Amino acid sequence: MLEIKNVTLKVLDKELVNNLNLTLNDGEIHVLMGPNGVGKSSIASSIMGNPNYEVEGSIKYNGKEITNLNVYERAKLGIYLINQSPIAIEGVTNAEMLRLALSEKTGEAVNIFDFSKELESICESLELDKSFIHKEINVGASGGERKKIELLHLWVLKPTFIMLDEIDSGLDVDALKIVGKSLAKYYEEYKPTMLIITHSNTLIDYFKDFKVHVLENKRIVKSGSKDLAKEILSKGFKDVSDTFVIRENENYE
Amino acid sequence: MNKLLVSDIRDLNDGIYKISSKNNCLDLNILGNVTIYLINENIDKINLNLKDGSNLFFYDFRENNQNNISVNINQVNNSKVHYNYSFKNSEDCECIINNDIKGNNNESYLSIRNISNKGLSKIIINVKVFEDTTDNIALEDLKGINNGGNVLVEPNIVALSNEVVANHLATIGGVDKASLFYLMSKGINESNAKEILLKGFIYSNMDDFIKTGGEDYA
Repeated sequence: MLEIKNVTLKVLDKELVNNLNLTLNDGEIHVLMGPNGVGKSSIASSIMGNPNYEVEGSIKYNGKEITNLNVYERAKLGIYLINQSPIAIEGVTNAEMLRLALSEKTGEAVNIFDFSKELESICESLELDKSFIHKEINVGASGGERKKIELLHLWVLKPTFIMLDEIDSGLDVDALKIVGKSLAKYYEEYKPTMLIITHSNTLIDYFKDFKVHVLENKRIVKSGSKDLAKEILSKGFKDVSDTFVIRENENYE
Repeated sequence: MNKLLVSDIRDLNDGIYKISSKNNCLDLNILGNVTIYLINENIDKINLNLKDGSNLFFYDFRENNQNNISVNINQVNNSKVHYNYSFKNSEDCECIINNDIKGNNNESYLSIRNISNKGLSKIIINVKVFEDTTDNIALEDLKGINNGGNVLVEPNIVALSNEVVANHLATIGGVDKASLFYLMSKGINESNAKEILLKGFIYSNMDDFIKTGGEDYA
């Protein structure tokens, strides 16, 4: 369970989010929507432990306060972020990075044969060329390939709390289908808690049940279920009916 | 793979060569398609003369360079050179690379990577494209990481001809914070993340032969 209580988020003294309260129970999927530039990605990045953000308030994961933990310590707890634009890392291959991450996670040396078989099998399911396994992370990869590479990492590392920051942006229909199915399968198998940031319904349609929140003016102004997402996508953020408006300081769970 | 112990001026024809030198100087005439590897050699003066129609890939990798080095690359007509130099230093050192392009239709790609662990590492690159020449390309790609020491680069391109494509890229900094954050977010501790980033950086302009240890099993 992830509990965000009275969180104010700043970057270079600029306040991005004020007094945010949100609880994500185990296995729940929450969708965060909102106009561009309101701080959705900043919330995900600060939950991951990005030191560029100043966080006031409390963020607890499975009862443990994480605001004072660094990114590595949060990752070790099972927190995972896929950015909308995954960076490329020259000179470090996917296999090398995953082998190291996996051995740190399990505390044991990785069996190379099993590891290679697993990576190949994941690549097949993602329709990702197996040559990427031994290629430098995201170097020379297209936008769609980068998202699939991030999913390859996810399937290997098996996190329990996943944040997807516009993973559906820039994907063609076929890639979107593969990414959506892969995430739905992962959810089915491991039941992680998920926070999905998106501007469309193409990805969230792969999930049966989820909660939707709208971030505007530094706080969550509307919350609801699938219907809220549908209404936003048909009417826009401004014209969503008041049924979804939540009162000042109301926590949404 | 040819293994050469070089002690005087040598003509190198088509082939792949791993070179050791008896003295501190390497003086080579390049003919045809040639790949050269220097791995942790203490050679401080390198002269490369590219003959008409030659194509050279030169890889110089030094895990702990303690020398000042000077490299002279001479191109006349229809030649191509990829000069890749990668080194770490733990004391003051200077690297000067002079590349003279005196004729037509040549290509020069100079790629330098340096991690300065201690002391000042000074890298000076001088590429000169001579007057009345055409169809030449000169590209410099210099990257340094201050990892306890400091890197200073001077990338100079003197183009005395109007018909040349010339470009240079030079960056100096610490370990990339975004990359560090990315690797740590995958569950790799800071020390290991930094180590693989530095390793990746220092090998990034080397080919697989050097990345895999530079041993020839053939």
